[in-house]
Amino acid sequence: MLLLNVEGKMTSGNDLLQGTLDLLILKTLALEPMHGWGIALRIQQLSKEALQIGQGSLYPALHRLEYRGWIKAEWGASENNRKAKYYSLTRAGKKQLDAEMENWDRIAGAIALVLKGA
Amino acid sequence: MLKESLTRLRFLFSRRTRSELDAELAFHLEEQTRANMAAGMSAGAARRQARIDFGGVERAREQCHEARPRYRLEMLVQDVLYSLRGFRRSPVFTITVIATLMLGIGATTAVFSVVDRILFRSLPYAHSDRLVSLGIVHSLETQEFVMGNFYYEWRANQRPFEALTSESTGPSECDLTERSPAQLSCESVEGNLLPTLGVSPVVGRNFLPEESRAGGPNVALISYGLWLNRFGLDRRILNKTINIDGHPVQVVGVLPKEFEMPRLESADVLYPFQIDEVANRKENGGYGSPRRIFARLKPGVTVEQARQEMEPLFQESLKQVPADIRKQMHLMVRSMRDKQMQDVRVAAWVLFGAVLAVMLIACANVASLLMARGAGRRRELAVRSALGASRGRLVAQALTESMLLALSGAVAGCLLAEGLLRLFVAIAPGNVPYLSQVHLDLRIVCFAVLVAVLCGLLFGLAPVFEKPGAEMLAGRSGRNATRASLRQWLVISQIAASMVLLTGAMLLVRSFWNLEHEQLGVRADRTLTVSVTLGSYNYGTSQSRMAFFRELEKRLRFGPGVNGVAVSDSVPPEDFHIGAQRIEDIVVEGRPRPHEASGELVKFRRVSPDYFRTLDIPIVLGEGFTDAERGSQQHFAVLSKALAERLFPGQNAVGQRMQIGSGDANPASYTVVGVAADVKNGGLTGEQLPEYYRLRRDQAEDWECCGHWGQTAVVILRSSLPAEALSPWIRTQVAAIDPALSVDTATMRQRMSKLVDGPRFQTILLGFFAVTGLTLAVIGLYGVISFLVAQRTQEIGVRMALGATRVGILQLVCARSLRLIAWGAGTGLLAALGVSRVLSSLLYGVGVRDPLTLIVVTLVLVAVAFVATLIPARAAAQVDPMVALRCE
Repeated sequence: MLLLNVEGKMTSGNDLLQGTLDLLILKTLALEPMHGWGIALRIQQLSKEALQIGQGSLYPALHRLEYRGWIKAEWGASENNRKAKYYSLTRAGKKQLDAEMENWDRIAGAIALVLKGA
Repeated sequence: MLKESLTRLRFLFSRRTRSELDAELAFHLEEQTRANMAAGMSAGAARRQARIDFGGVERAREQCHEARPRYRLEMLVQDVLYSLRGFRRSPVFTITVIATLMLGIGATTAVFSVVDRILFRSLPYAHSDRLVSLGIVHSLETQEFVMGNFYYEWRANQRPFEALTSESTGPSECDLTERSPAQLSCESVEGNLLPTLGVSPVVGRNFLPEESRAGGPNVALISYGLWLNRFGLDRRILNKTINIDGHPVQVVGVLPKEFEMPRLESADVLYPFQIDEVANRKENGGYGSPRRIFARLKPGVTVEQARQEMEPLFQESLKQVPADIRKQMHLMVRSMRDKQMQDVRVAAWVLFGAVLAVMLIACANVASLLMARGAGRRRELAVRSALGASRGRLVAQALTESMLLALSGAVAGCLLAEGLLRLFVAIAPGNVPYLSQVHLDLRIVCFAVLVAVLCGLLFGLAPVFEKPGAEMLAGRSGRNATRASLRQWLVISQIAASMVLLTGAMLLVRSFWNLEHEQLGVRADRTLTVSVTLGSYNYGTSQSRMAFFRELEKRLRFGPGVNGVAVSDSVPPEDFHIGAQRIEDIVVEGRPRPHEASGELVKFRRVSPDYFRTLDIPIVLGEGFTDAERGSQQHFAVLSKALAERLFPGQNAVGQRMQIGSGDANPASYTVVGVAADVKNGGLTGEQLPEYYRLRRDQAEDWECCGHWGQTAVVILRSSLPAEALSPWIRTQVAAIDPALSVDTATMRQRMSKLVDGPRFQTILLGFFAVTGLTLAVIGLYGVISFLVAQRTQEIGVRMALGATRVGILQLVCARSLRLIAWGAGTGLLAALGVSRVLSSLLYGVGVRDPLTLIVVTLVLVAVAFVATLIPARAAAQVDPMVALRCE
């Protein structure tokens, strides 16, 4: 299992994939606005429990992204009608997501090539 | 990118409430608990599991806090406040560091700003590194010149230069003969001077080829200054003619504002040479009119190569010169910069070296102080580290502190530099080029600040990177040995450097003292000189010059309190070369003319009879001149004692007759009527030459002379009134004869003091550096010793408890510091002996290894340094053993 810490590094195994947590958050928010707990849950489910977010690390990352202007936060009502902070992607965030996805594909492809060739 | 910055900026100012974050985290935990309960856990277990999954809530909260854009700013403010509190706690440390940096940066920047203009500034010509000055030098003329004929040959056959150009050596006084007349200086230059220098006029054009030919139209370029002052920057000047020396001259262009003549002489008007070369070759005894020449090297040719390539041409030219003069002549080729700076260069390099030494001492001091502080704070660092401060935070803190110190030092230093610069300009002699244009150079300020900051960072950060060990928490300090020895080395090098500085300063002071107390052989008190240069247009004939000066002499004789008036063409002790000739040109009647050229020089002046009485030069033999002789048809001379002994050893010189004149067909015969005591005549530092005086009779032929020199005469006045009272009256008297003339009055004291201006400037500057350096070094030594004492307080307590006396402790501390002083002084002495050689050309009457200087400097340094150690040593001796033993 991979654990993501606050810097978005995978701490199990190696430090190779920086910014991964940011990418996952952005990708999750691209579907719909979501609160913190929902984001953690969604990443867990989508990765079929393989990626477990260090939930404590999620919030500093969310705040950092917000300060960068990639996501914005609004208070709203949750499914069970409680006050929750919903994050959604801004236009700059969408652009950033596209860029990071592309980057990810490039790196993943490159690594795959190396692994296959070896 | 911009948008991102804006977003950050917005968050920088919006304050997030802590409760908002709490609510967000609480919501997460509740949702997780709910989910866990839905999965079948009990309420308690679900809450517990939720918290476990989440990890540290407090940590998450802190990390969110740190992610805020404000966070760094807050940390910076915190660090700054913390540093300021620290500075307030140890004001002595803070003030010492800032003062050290201030002195270091201030002195360095100010002096470098001055030196930079002299050594490194670019001359106001295009590619000035390729410009050279060349020509012949000999014992009578040390500034390179060339005869017209040689010049034509050289110009036709030279290879190393792209272009050669020249200007005349002739008189430059001229008169603007318009409604309000003024005396100007007019230089004649070859038509290609400006293109060769790579300069173009700001208005109008350079001379055309047809204007640089014999019989060409009267045209001129005028200086920016003249254009501004006289014509109000009016561009219509180009169509105007101005009247110079009675001739209409058309102005074709205006020189750039920053233009300088190659010899830095002032020039208001430039004429093109309109010389017929063929005719010119026959002038001046068949040598052609003399020139100063300048050239632009071809790319890639060095000055030395150019000199070697010109040597054959020079040797060829020499064949035209009489054999006895030939061997005194040499070819000189030097860069324009060298030509312009003359001997200021050495002084500039010396100052530069002094600045580096002071900077070195200052940096060593800062390093030493910071290391001591660092060592003293290791415990504090250990505590902070134990409380959870990360390495990054400690580094940031140390960085903030160092930067604060360096920046305050830099600001103080810049203020000091500005003040010093004004002081330099105020006390500097007139002959330091460009000093009036000097200003603080931003690059230099940056450089000095950078050095200080680097020095601060290097030594300020060192303690942080040491791993704080557990033993530091316990307060045991055992690992200071290496640091202490490094600091001791720093102190030794500081003492050595200030030793070198002190030696240099002391040598200059001794030399300056010698200069000030030089016996001149003339009276300097209550003696006023009035120097007037007549324009060659209004006073073209010797008759008119004689008439003017006779009239002036007559008027001044009746001035208030005046009891002596003499007229001379020059005044000692100034160095002048035109009134000099070779000793072979004096032929004593009844002796054969010497064939062998000895190269010895003799000076002469033309004076009125009262010259000796007015200047208090005793006549040791014979009568001297009388007023009656002024009207005589015969020539009379007075010899200086040195010349009388040289020409008439063991004989009575009075009554002898001698023929004076160089190779003239009809040399004049002079009768020696007296022998006068020797006076200084080669400047203050120059060689004292034998001299003779010609009586300047009331005959037009005695007022005939060569160029500029013949147009100038000095009236010497002795008066009981102070100079300030007399000067205005003298001006009115000159103006009464001719209102257009400019008058230069100065007391003999002022003239002499002007001669020592240069040495005084160097002495004050180097002295200033020496004192600064010594002060800093002493502070450094004091710091090291008191630190060592503080570190050994416990040990001293133990020693005392075991029976050591106070005297013993005093000796213990002093012995250590004396070792440092001895090492430093020894090294410094060796270095001073090696370095002081560069000063030799600046010294007068004192050797570079003057033993008295070395002894005095050593004693002063050791004494001052010893006092600096006595204070902490006494403190060590006062240690109360009980307190010392308990303190840790």
